[in-house]
Amino acid sequence: MSKDAKSCGSCGTCGCGGKGLTTLKEGAWSQNPLAIQVLGICSALAVTSKLENSLVMGAALIFVCVGSNFFVSILRNNIPHRIRMIVEVAIIATFVILFDQILKAFYWDMSKQLGPYVALIITNCIVMGRAEAFALQNPPMLSIIDGFANGLGYAGILAAIAIFRELTGFGTIMGYEILAKDWYTPNQIMSSAPGAFFTLGIVIAIFNAIKGPDAMEGK
Amino acid sequence: MKGSLYTLIYAAVVGIVCAATLTFAANFCRPYREKNEAAEKQINILLALNVPFDVDATADELLQIFDANIKQVEQNGMAIYNYEVNGKLDSLAVEFIGPGRNATVKGFLALEPDRKTIKGITFYQQEETPGLGGEIITAEFRDRFKGKSIYDEKGEPGFVVKKNADKLKNGVNAISSATQTCDKLGIMLTETLKSLSQEQVDE
Repeated sequence: MSKDAKSCGSCGTCGCGGKGLTTLKEGAWSQNPLAIQVLGICSALAVTSKLENSLVMGAALIFVCVGSNFFVSILRNNIPHRIRMIVEVAIIATFVILFDQILKAFYWDMSKQLGPYVALIITNCIVMGRAEAFALQNPPMLSIIDGFANGLGYAGILAAIAIFRELTGFGTIMGYEILAKDWYTPNQIMSSAPGAFFTLGIVIAIFNAIKGPDAMEGK
Repeated sequence: MKGSLYTLIYAAVVGIVCAATLTFAANFCRPYREKNEAAEKQINILLALNVPFDVDATADELLQIFDANIKQVEQNGMAIYNYEVNGKLDSLAVEFIGPGRNATVKGFLALEPDRKTIKGITFYQQEETPGLGGEIITAEFRDRFKGKSIYDEKGEPGFVVKKNADKLKNGVNAISSATQTCDKLGIMLTETLKSLSQEQVDE
């Protein structure tokens, strides 16, 4: 089949069709969507001022990524090629709105805090990217693993950024005071947009230093 | 042509399945969501008026507390919520609505019986940027309003939310890096206060 013959864009050396563990490791670590591919940073910048918000956002992305990857993968052999992206977006949007509805019904306070960013997951490049690059070429189970791995990779980096920003920007973690207000003046640049850029850069640098150079980079 | 027909039917089926799923989910969630929204509004009226209530109260309990304490009066199409203790007016609240930076902001402003001094402010709907404009919902920011006047030095109704505005009779300091939200908050409060004082003249 011609679709399978295409090399999948973002995973390069390719874990496609390989073992689940490789897929899991690539999504969450060696091809981390945020730290290596630098995708989906818009929401990563917006919701990381508090750790609690970031964790819910990470959970939302895992849910959407797993769900959309699974259904795109099931349909992969009969989606008309010309409208495949429209179908993907429809599936993604369905899962995002589902999550938003559940938040509004059962986690009202969190829904209030995150405001518009849950709905904006529809436009998150990670979700669309995984559907296009992975789920279209791989069987459902492997696609679920891939969706979970990428969601996890996103959530992990988000949490790292949020811990740093909440600690320096508010002196708290999960709303609990860590750096007492008596001697620590919250650094407001960390709670605003520029702080997110600085932190993202630092976190990506640390991540890459720990991970070490990739085999692909030698090319 | 055969391919096009398949594509069309495929798109229609996907569309219908997605729409059906979402309709089902929305209908399933609606009672919970509406209860949350109603409770949110009542909690905010109670909070703004400083009515004592249990924070963990269920939506039904809240409704009882609300009905027992608050009397709603309509004046020129503006709802005013009166809180009476032993038949004496303790305070009153008015709703304010206006465009924020990201989306509509809704909240309540509570005034002392003299209708000149602010008793409290709450927000029950806002989608301002979390951590920035979203900080308007924090107690720290809302406490800045307590005891402030709704009239400026010349006796004109209005309110200012700007940098260093806490020196004014009718102003509070803005949140830094949330200038747009604060400016718009000032505008919507001023509009509400103007129509409120208008009504007093009409009475």
